[in-house]
Parts: sequence; structure tokens; C-alpha cells
Amino acid sequence: MGRNRWNLPDLGFGIGLRTVHYSYILANHPPIDWFEILSENYMDTGGRPLYVLDQVAERYPVVLHGVSMSVGSTDPLNLDYLKKLKALADRTRAHWVSDHLCWTGVSGINVHDLLPMPYTDESLRYTIDRVKAVSEILESPLVLENPSTYLEFGNSTWSEVDFLSTLAQEADCGILLDVNNVYVSCFNHGLDPESFIDRVPADRVVQYHLAGHTHKGTHILDTHSDHVIDEVWSLYRRSCQRTGGVATLLEWDENIPSFEVVHAEALKARRHRGLPEPDHTRAYGT
Amino acid sequence: MAPDLGNTQKWMQAVILHPGSDREAVASPRARKLVPASEFPRLIRPSRTLDSFDRIGIYRGMYLARLQEALEADYPGLAHFLGPKRFSDLVTGYVDRYPSRSYTLNRLGDRLPEYIRSRPGIVRQDFLYELARFELLMSRLFDAEESPVLTPEAIGAVPPESWETARLKPVAALAVQALRYPVGAYLEAVRQGNPRPATRRKNHWAVVYRRQYALRWLDLSRPAYRLLDALVNGVPLGEALSRVLRGGRQQVGEVQLFSWFRGWVTEGLFQAVELDDPA
Ligand SMILES: [Fe+2]
Repeated sequence: MGRNRWNLPDLGFGIGLRTVHYSYILANHPPIDWFEILSENYMDTGGRPLYVLDQVAERYPVVLHGVSMSVGSTDPLNLDYLKKLKALADRTRAHWVSDHLCWTGVSGINVHDLLPMPYTDESLRYTIDRVKAVSEILESPLVLENPSTYLEFGNSTWSEVDFLSTLAQEADCGILLDVNNVYVSCFNHGLDPESFIDRVPADRVVQYHLAGHTHKGTHILDTHSDHVIDEVWSLYRRSCQRTGGVATLLEWDENIPSFEVVHAEALKARRHRGLPEPDHTRAYGT
Repeated sequence: MAPDLGNTQKWMQAVILHPGSDREAVASPRARKLVPASEFPRLIRPSRTLDSFDRIGIYRGMYLARLQEALEADYPGLAHFLGPKRFSDLVTGYVDRYPSRSYTLNRLGDRLPEYIRSRPGIVRQDFLYELARFELLMSRLFDAEESPVLTPEAIGAVPPESWETARLKPVAALAVQALRYPVGAYLEAVRQGNPRPATRRKNHWAVVYRRQYALRWLDLSRPAYRLLDALVNGVPLGEALSRVLRGGRQQVGEVQLFSWFRGWVTEGLFQAVELDDPA
């Protein structure tokens, strides 16, 4: 059991379900603890994606992770979207539903990006109400992830971590702590990632994200295109000491290698948590 | 005075969506109305390494790259024909005209065929319009509901005298098409790495459908197209058959008709035989 306040389970070490791995997963039923599902990819399809999802959800624990809730947007909530999200969560018996602390568009337009919030009292109050409304519709506490950000608003009066923590407490939502995003945003804004980690309310962290990124010299892009770097592993270890065992997920979205490679990267997290190496590698015949 | 949350978001979106340079975007009338250009460096803090333009520029660059990637996945044939530069110009113009209004990127390309047809100065406009329409159809069929498939047992259960007025219900993931260019063959050739597939005008007919979750198409002769098109549009079997036997320049024998029909059933194009209510 995790130590979070809702007793949401520590699902172990999972990876994001990606199209390139569908055939492998269906053919081999690999011994992985759980999968994270990109909600929007399965909402409006009756084709192969939904077929694969049903097979996966039948066999493995799943969690839904979205990118289009736009919880911080000043547009009205998209109730059609939330209804479909809830239906998908029910269909897959998802353990929880997550999205990002961000907005993705306004005036009816979707930019399809995780755009940063100004960290002001006004946006904090606004977002608290929105998160509460969403949790009510989903009938479970929404889980929010800290996104990677590339700019800061001059009118912000809160730090990102304090904004997120206060939001989580006031709106009673969970936190999906993306440790790579902490590293990326802190590098981009010249902040200390360790003090970010230390200020997160540990009992609200229900999931971790780990991923690789692309260092451009002047800034870092959150590309999910590579292995996790040592500094991020060290932040993960530091955070786990505070949170205890929490469901951990490895994201890989660009230049995606084989299932085994992605899974092996996720399993490295076991070592960083001080757990023994699993027998899983034998299942791959390596 | 700092803009409120709503205005900040409208401003940032206006800057991201502007098709010009970072500086032009910040100075554009729509953006300036929300945040005066002189306020910009105070609204977006510079970092140790990047100024305010560079920082908003990251979001602007990622916006177009992401939408282009999504459209390329839905329109690989179009992207192949146009090449990177012209495809990117097309995407820039298209998303400026039709920005995404859906929570899913799967719907982003819905109006691309229409945009191609209406935009002046597009080379091979007719061909590209049909290619785009065909690629859009493929992505719709990819996501269509999965249907049950008509079984030999269900066919055997139809009383012989009922066939005349029976209607055949096609599977949901199916479309019968009359085409003016060989767009199906074009896409197949692109997929197989043929760099210059044929694009010359050629009237032909095809049925596009999904079987075991994979998209396929069958070329049809003109009379076969007429028969299948009638059937999927709900014309009773007897009437559809006699229309084809009667009309058309090409002579078709009954044996031929039934062999098509059997082939389509075997291929899983239909989900049910609907009989008239015996009452
Ligand atoms: Fe993440």
C-alpha cells in the first residue's frame, strides 16, 4: 500500500501503452506491473486501439492519463470530454485519472500543448474550483501532473511547487509528480530541483513519471526521447524517501525502442527504490 | 497593470497561433490589444540564457511541429507527394485557417480536403483533393465501430423466397467509392517505398473496408461498383441485381453477379441480412 491519503495502490513499475508495442504486448503478454493509457487516443474510436485497450485492461492494471482536460483554461469545462473520460475510466477500471496543471487553449481553440499557468492568487483560486468540479464529475480525486515549462510569467507571485501543493490541498486532488519535468522546468528557470522535491506534500503523491529529455544547451525540452539521466534518478530516490512506494511510470514517446528496452528502463526504478532486481528479464529470453 | 488570467491566455494563444516570426507575433494587432508590446518583457521573464522572444518562441515552434506531425500521420500520401517544404507550407496555411477545435488531434485534418480544394495556386489540385479525401476516409474507417460479420449460418437461415426483398447491412467500417485518380494504388506504392507512383487520371471504383482491424480495399469493375453501392445504400437485393442486369454498357451475367456477391460476403463486407417483417 502506498502512503497517500486515499490509499491508492502502489501499482509497481509500468510504462505508457504505445501503438508501436501493441503487437508485441498482445502476442507475448509481457510480465509488466501496469500500463498508463493516453485517454484521448481511445475516446472516439471503435477500431484497433479500443480492441487493444480492452485486451490490455483485461490483463493489467491501468491508469488513464490525459492531455486535453485544460483544467487551467478560462474556457468552460468540456463536459462532453469529461463524460467520455469517465466512461473510459469505467470501461478500463482505471485506478485513477490524471492530467496536467496547465491550459491547452482558450476561445474554443486547442493548441494541443501543456501551456503554463501564471502562478497568481487569481489563477490559484480559479483552478481550485475547476479541479473540484472535475473530481465531482469523475467521482474520484483528479490527479494532476507538474508539466515541463519553458517560460515564466512576470506576474507570478507563487513558486510552481507551492502553487501545485496549495492547489492539491485546497482542491483535495492527487499529484502525479513527474521527476523529469521537475528537473527540466528547474533547469529552464534557474531553480533548485531538490528544494522543489522537498516541498511537495508527500501524502498527495499517487504516481511518478520518469522520462528522458533533450538538452539544447540554453534550455531543456521534455521530449521523452531517451533514457532517464542520473540527476533525475537521484531526484526520484530523494522523493521516494519522502513518499514511500508510489506507482512509477516510464514515458517514452519519441524514437521509441522495443518494448523490452522501455520496460527495462522502467525496471531500473526498482533498484533506485532499493528493491531487488526482478526475474522479468528471464521472461524475455535474454 | 498585469492582464487577468483570461487575457493572459488569449494573448499567449494569439502569439502562438500567429504564422509570422516571434517578433511579428508579439507585435500583431490581436496580441497587442491584449498586452502592449512594451509590457511583453515584463510579462514573460527572460531566463539566464533566453530572452522573452526565445522563450515564447519555444511554444510557437512546438505548436506547428506537433500539428504537422499529426497531419503527416493522417495524410502520408499527401506529405509524400508535396515533400517537406510544400507540405509544411500547406499545414501552416491550413491550421491558420482551421485551428484545432477538438480535444483530439485525430479530428485536426477533417477539413484538409476542403482546404486543398479551395486554396488557390495548388499544383495538381484535383489529384491532391481526391488523395486527401481518400486519406481522410481511411482514418474515419480506422476509427469506425467494429461490426459483427455475416456468417454462413446466418445466410443459410434466410428462406430462399426472402432473398428478393432482403437488404444487406454493410459493416460500419466500409465505403464504396467512385474515384477519378488511382489514389489507393498511390498510397500502397508510397507505403512500399516507390518514390514516384502513378498519378495520372483514371476513372475507377473501389470498396474500402476494415477486416480484423486492418484497412483494405478491393478494386471493383463499374457494374460491381453499381451493385455494391446499391446494396450498401439499402436497396433490396432483387432490385439491386436487376438494376445491374438491366442498365449499363457492360454486359454482366448472373453467374458473375453471384460470384461477386459471394466474394463480398466472404470478405466480410456485410454484417446482417435484414428481412422484411413477415407481418
Ligand atoms: Fe509526464
